[in-house]
Amino acid sequence: MSPFSVRGYLLFTLWGVVLTLVSGGWRLMALLVLELLFGLAWSPAGLRPLRRLRFWVFIATALALGPFLTPQAGLRLDAVSWSRSGMSLGLDMAGRALSLTLAFSVGLSALSLSDLVALFDRLRLRGLGFALGVAMNLLKNLQEMATVTYETIRLRGGLRRPLVALRLFLVTLVSNTLRYGDQIVSAAAVRAFDPNSDGSPARSTVQCPRADVALLCALVASGLLLLALPLP
Amino acid sequence: MLSYRVRDWVTIGLFGALWGVVETTLGSYLNVIFPAFTNTFFKGVILAGIGVAVALTGRFFVPRRGSLLLIGTVTALLKLLSPAGGKIGPVVAIGMQSVMMEAAASMARDPRRWTFVLGGALAVAWNFPHKFLMMGLMYGRNVAEVYWMLVEDGSRMLGLDRSVALLIVAALLGVRLIVGGISGWSAWALGGAVAHRLGRRSQAVTE
Repeated sequence: MSPFSVRGYLLFTLWGVVLTLVSGGWRLMALLVLELLFGLAWSPAGLRPLRRLRFWVFIATALALGPFLTPQAGLRLDAVSWSRSGMSLGLDMAGRALSLTLAFSVGLSALSLSDLVALFDRLRLRGLGFALGVAMNLLKNLQEMATVTYETIRLRGGLRRPLVALRLFLVTLVSNTLRYGDQIVSAAAVRAFDPNSDGSPARSTVQCPRADVALLCALVASGLLLLALPLP
Repeated sequence: MLSYRVRDWVTIGLFGALWGVVETTLGSYLNVIFPAFTNTFFKGVILAGIGVAVALTGRFFVPRRGSLLLIGTVTALLKLLSPAGGKIGPVVAIGMQSVMMEAAASMARDPRRWTFVLGGALAVAWNFPHKFLMMGLMYGRNVAEVYWMLVEDGSRMLGLDRSVALLIVAALLGVRLIVGGISGWSAWALGGAVAHRLGRRSQAVTE
């Protein structure tokens, strides 16, 4: 189980993004190592993008573009114009993209719906947490609603007039979604749910676990250390 | 947001989910048709056009300030929580599109068709600077130089004047504005049709 709260992970993402934007060269490499270590230790699911071919194609594009880029001569597509400075430029671009992606995926993949709803509750945004819960629960039903609507239109021969069918499909889908919403409103009213209330006093106080404080200190210290690294 | 009732929050959740489904389901299909490393023009225009229409239809039923921002927030959070990768770009795009729509929709006190059309056009047109912003953010300032060199080299290779290249860029922006405007118009029409079917009368319907 992770020792950090949602705020800890969000802090990590913010730290990663800010440092990526101000770093370059070896600093970027060091930042990448730190992000990877954090991911391996506390957010293995966040390293999933590294297993995707599409992600590496994206990184390789930046890497491959660099050698053809010479700051003086511009973009030259003949192999003879490969330059060392262009190569390091490509590495810098690829490293930056990799670091930014890791900062996001490692920090945010640890979040769950209940974490977010609890966070909104504490921030006195109870309604937003409620709306997010409604949306999450609706996702599966929506696909079923869309399939049923489409099949009904198809079986009644509605697809012969595509534009009318599209209009019918959209009106039916949105109407059914709003009717589903009426049921949720009734259920919330029966339970006396009030999105504008602060919740229980215990929930509304913002707690700061020790692990988060330790993480904050570690992030600040490593950030300062990274920025102090001399660039070759 | 204190003035929002339970029904408003539920409707925001519903339309956030609808936009989220468009982003996740249709987005995945379009990723197969147009792979990530090919031109993303069609993918972006199709996704943004439909997403913007859904969000603006939501505004029709929650005609309160900030509702489009909240619908966008719910969609962005759904995208963040989805198991698919490549999240930074879409999340920033959804956020910026909802800001654009909200800015346009807030120009009039009550919902009006022209605010929907303007909001839709601005939101879909955001796709254009979005690409440059994200590339700049991901790859650094150097990518702007790369883009400029590509335009210069491309126009030289094809024997075109540089101004023609800029004309093509302007045409791409124009197409986005038109598609967005149609999305906004459609959202207004769809909202009216659904309200009529459900027997609801919102501020928008009484116009």
